[in-house]
Amino acid sequence: MLKLDSLFDLKGKVAIVTGGGDGIGKGSCEILARAGAYIVVSDLTIEKAQAVADEIVKDGGKAIAVACNVLKDEDLVALVDAAVKEYGTVNILVNNAGGGGGGRENPFKVDLAYFERIFNFNVFSAWRLCQLTVPLMAKSGYGSIINITSMGSINKSPNMSAYAASKAALNHMAANLAFDFGPMGVRINNVGPGATRTHALETVLTPEIEAKMLEHTPIKRLGTVEDITGAVLYFAAPVSAWVSGQVLFVNGGGVQTLD
Amino acid sequence: MEALDKLFRFDNKVIIITGGAGAIGSAAARLFSSLGANVVISDINEDKLKALAASISKETGHEVLGIKADSTIESDMKMLVDKTVEKFGKISGLINNVGWGAATKLWDSNTEKMVKSYVLNTVGAYNLTKYCMPYLEKEPNASVVFSNSMVGTTPSPEFIEYSTAKAGLRNMVHSMAVASGPKVRFNEVIIGSVDNGDATLEAGYDPEMLRRISEGIVMKRRGLPVDIAYAMMYLMSNAASWITGVEINVDGGGMYESKMPTD
Repeated sequence: MLKLDSLFDLKGKVAIVTGGGDGIGKGSCEILARAGAYIVVSDLTIEKAQAVADEIVKDGGKAIAVACNVLKDEDLVALVDAAVKEYGTVNILVNNAGGGGGGRENPFKVDLAYFERIFNFNVFSAWRLCQLTVPLMAKSGYGSIINITSMGSINKSPNMSAYAASKAALNHMAANLAFDFGPMGVRINNVGPGATRTHALETVLTPEIEAKMLEHTPIKRLGTVEDITGAVLYFAAPVSAWVSGQVLFVNGGGVQTLD
Repeated sequence: MEALDKLFRFDNKVIIITGGAGAIGSAAARLFSSLGANVVISDINEDKLKALAASISKETGHEVLGIKADSTIESDMKMLVDKTVEKFGKISGLINNVGWGAATKLWDSNTEKMVKSYVLNTVGAYNLTKYCMPYLEKEPNASVVFSNSMVGTTPSPEFIEYSTAKAGLRNMVHSMAVASGPKVRFNEVIIGSVDNGDATLEAGYDPEMLRRISEGIVMKRRGLPVDIAYAMMYLMSNAASWITGVEINVDGGGMYESKMPTD
């Protein structure tokens, strides 16, 4: 009889998670570790990455922490090197680090350097990590990449043009890379969270904002980290072996915009 | 593993699967039954249905009920719901999987053929879902998953009846999703080229076409019925409890070129 573990078995698979120090990144590290993966927790702040790795090890898993500024190419190279040095290869990559937006991108108040930085953060770093890890994945015989995109990639809002355009680029980049990596046995998919109760959101959330966000959300609650990491696990695991190039929005069926 | 069980087990759930004697339907039935659900499979092929129900139940130790029902007959859909509730007392999930379409040249269809395809692929799912709704609304994380096809999302002149009906189904699912939260979730699996055994050949494919299709798929193979069942399982599961109104293409990463030559 079929056992669940076999569908989600990641025992001994090596997973890099960027921005793994908190929120969706931390949750991704935890769920992949529970499925048996060895985790390379990377974060800009080493203390946060180390705390997540320590917790995984305490629970009987395997994990290391690596400081990484995804805006620096030498950090990306060092991150992959650290994974290979510790565990021999890379099988799973969760491109979770990213940022920008927040309604602060007035096109007449930000400069081109800002726009470039956001693309570097959300698109170029993910592309570079794919370039560095996919040959390892292909050689090892198992590879799955998950990019954390955003509802911003399809929403239309004022003062969001850099972030929204970069996340849309991330979606289409993945759709195209699926064609490049598919014949190598490597899959790539994007998960698009709606408004998720992370620490970052909780700091600005009021009952009024929450009510507004739920006006156009069929499932009348905000997302949890577990809602998003369930999708990360689905795409990371053998259960989705014939799925690539997808963008899956985990958003309660709606958009949590404020206008 | 406990964490996985919490997300992906279906103990004490009652799940109806239409087209349950076919390749994908039976793979889904076997999967959900393995994961603890009581499964009701419906099909028009009664002999196959009964044999399958008995074999799955023996394998998994969970009850599997086979009910002969024709998705094109509304009273059959009501009967399917009544018998399910009579046996199990509730309905937790529904997989509207039945569907089929023959290859037809673009201008060779007619009113009768177009309507027949619409009734089979779209209206049947509407009727069954409608009769299930009062029961689904009472259950936690109730979920309806629809089998759709890439013919419903891309221009498919070689399957004009089937593709038009499936495109209609897609819009119907989105309408159900926006109107039926938070009680019931509605999602679709858009199915690529799957080895459905006999049904594939009946639909007008020949071995040369199938070879070309495999070569054209990014992951260089046609799907297995179980690949589709896995995606249905995820969308039905607790892990997907904040997901409604989405579609997942389960298609081996897509096609490099047109799925069938047109003439």
